[in-house]
Amino acid sequence: MGSPFPDWIKQSWASGESSEFTKSIVSRLGLHTVCQSARCPNQGECWERRTATFMILGNVCTRNCSFCSVQSGHPEALDPDEPARVAEAVRELNIKHAVITSVTRDDLPDGGAAHFARTVEAVRAANPGTTVEVLVPDFLGAEAPIRTVLASVPEVFGHNIETVERLYDSLRRRKIGYRDALRVLGTAAANQSGSIVKSALMVGHGETPAEVRSTLGDLLAAGCEAVAIGQYLRPSPRQRRVTEFIAPEQFNKYEAMAREMGFKFAVAGPFVRSSYRSEELLQRLNPAETDE
Amino acid sequence: MSYEVTLPSLGEDAADLATVSQWLVKEGDTVAEGDDLVEMTTDKAAFNVPSPVAGTVAEILAAEGQEVRAGGLLCILE
Repeated sequence: MGSPFPDWIKQSWASGESSEFTKSIVSRLGLHTVCQSARCPNQGECWERRTATFMILGNVCTRNCSFCSVQSGHPEALDPDEPARVAEAVRELNIKHAVITSVTRDDLPDGGAAHFARTVEAVRAANPGTTVEVLVPDFLGAEAPIRTVLASVPEVFGHNIETVERLYDSLRRRKIGYRDALRVLGTAAANQSGSIVKSALMVGHGETPAEVRSTLGDLLAAGCEAVAIGQYLRPSPRQRRVTEFIAPEQFNKYEAMAREMGFKFAVAGPFVRSSYRSEELLQRLNPAETDE
Repeated sequence: MSYEVTLPSLGEDAADLATVSQWLVKEGDTVAEGDDLVEMTTDKAAFNVPSPVAGTVAEILAAEGQEVRAGGLLCILE
C-alpha cells in the first residue's frame, strides 16, 4: 500500500533530544500547545528547534469549527497562573519569538483578552529581547478586547481569516462572518501602536485562485501587512475532508501574488501554518532589531 | 548489538497512531543515522521516520498496512 497523500505532503517523524526537551517542559508546566491539539504535522520539526506555539485560555473551545480538532465544549475557569507558566516555558526553551494563540472563549465577558495581555506582559518581563506574536480569536467582533490585547504591544497581532468569503460560513459555523473577521483585523490595524497585523488562510477547501486573490485584497484593505497561506490537512475523520491538495507551484504563485499585491511579508507552502517559522517575519521586516 | 527502533512519541494523544504505508529499506540494508527507514501515514499527512542510529536492518517488525502506536516496534537494527 502507498500513502493516500500526494508526495509533497510528507514531513519527518523525528524526535530527538531537543524534541524530548521541549516535550518535557510543556508537560511539566502543564501547558497546552496548538502543535498537539491541532495534531500539527510540523510538530517534530518545530519541537526539535525547541519552539512551540502555546495555546492559552485552557484547551476547551466554545466553538466547533469544521476544520479544527481542538476539543469543543464547556471550558474550565481561567487559570490565573497560566501567563507565568508560559513565560517560564519561553525562558527555559530560550524562545526568541514566542507565538501565543488560544481557544475561543465566548463564555468570558472579554473573551480572554486581559489574560492574553497578561501573558504577553509576563513573557516580555521574563524574557527581555524576546518578541511576541499573538494569534487571537474573533472576540465576537467586539472592539474593546482587541484594544486590550493591543495595549500589551505584541510585535505581531494575528487573526486568521481562514478561508475565502464564499466558504467562510461553512467552515466557521456562522458565529461571526467573513466581514466580521476582516473587521477584527481592521480594528487592530487602526488601533495598533507598533504591532504588525497578520492573517492566515488555509487553501484546499475548494476555493479558486481568483477567490484567494480577492481575499488577499480584503486583508490588505483591512490593514494587514503579513499573510501566511497553507494547505488544509484533515486532523481526523471527524473534520471536513480535504477538497483539493494544492500543488507546490500554486503556493509559489500565491506567495508571489501576495507580495505583488503589497504585503510586506508573505509566505505560502503546503506546510505553512500561521505560526510556522514566523520569526522570519520580524527578521525580514526589522533586520536591525532582531539581528543577533 | 541490536537496537530496537520504535515509533517516537510526538504528542500525547491519538495523533501518535500511524499506519505503515511503505518501507524504504529492506532487511539486510545498511543505514546511516538520519536515513529514512519507513513512511508512515496519519489522518493528516505522511511522515518519514529517520533512523536514530547507524546499522544494518536485521528484522522488519511492522508490516505495510499495520497500525503502530507511539512506542511500538518498527524494526531491529544491528
